[in-house]
Amino acid sequence: MSEAHLTMGAHAAPPMEARPFAIPSKKLAMWLFLMADVMTFAACVAAYGFLRNSTPDWPRPFHGVTSVAIMTLIMLTSSLTMLIGLRAAKMDDKAGAFRWMMITAAAGVIFTLLHIRDWMGMINQGVGLFQNPWGPAAFGAGFYVVTGFSLLHISAGTIALIIVAIRYRGGRYDADDVEIVNLFWQFVGLVWLFIVPVVYLMNLAR
Amino acid sequence: MTTAEANGIKKYLAIYVCLLVITALQFVIGYQNIAGSQLVVRFLTFAVIETILVVLFWMNLGSEKKVFVKFIVYFMLFVLATMNYIWTDSFRLLVFRLTGLGPS
Repeated sequence: MSEAHLTMGAHAAPPMEARPFAIPSKKLAMWLFLMADVMTFAACVAAYGFLRNSTPDWPRPFHGVTSVAIMTLIMLTSSLTMLIGLRAAKMDDKAGAFRWMMITAAAGVIFTLLHIRDWMGMINQGVGLFQNPWGPAAFGAGFYVVTGFSLLHISAGTIALIIVAIRYRGGRYDADDVEIVNLFWQFVGLVWLFIVPVVYLMNLAR
Repeated sequence: MTTAEANGIKKYLAIYVCLLVITALQFVIGYQNIAGSQLVVRFLTFAVIETILVVLFWMNLGSEKKVFVKFIVYFMLFVLATMNYIWTDSFRLLVFRLTGLGPS
């Protein structure tokens, strides 16, 4: 290699690669993750539907869905408060963004607690992964896998929200990071809107 | 607060109210005595409307580049279409279990 090449290599900046789809890399990564997650959730819900469809006498144990309705209201409202937080972050209102994100995280905690309470009610009725008092054993497995996967996402999202909110207020993260956590939060809320009819409303006691 | 900011929040609130109404309708339909297949169709229709509203306006996909929107939409349609291959087999299993016929 000539001296001229060495000199050029030392000083020339590496060529900039074009951003795929002209969006920030972090945002693209979150979208790709969400697309992969859609496949996982779709597989879980499809497997649940398959079991439900192919099993005679599938139980319909839900007499009332008041707690599910409250959980849905909390989830939808938390999606709205997250958007208000994102809006504040884009206007560089750090205090406002932090406050709204923490309100969203609080809603996530309440949702998680209500969800665990719902699970405890099912466990107390004798519903386990491989057993239930109403017949087909697959019901418990289907119920816990689908709702448990959602619960896992909402719990992880709540923790992520708290971390991003604190780091955003401290100046380590910017509005782009808030937007990325907003994408995840809206996604978990959307998944819940699919789980409610498939798992709960389709199995109301009549 | 500027007019644009107020309009933005109004848009979020409008979508929120729409989602609340659609979800409430799902709960009302859930309590009605409707045949299983009809129930699935109605629930899925409402869920798809909710998805479009959330993805376009709350996840701001509507304001991204068209090529990216196409990428997401085609990919999702492919995933959802391939998931539908299983249903015929679930009906076959149901018939086997109800009639006692099928492979031993």
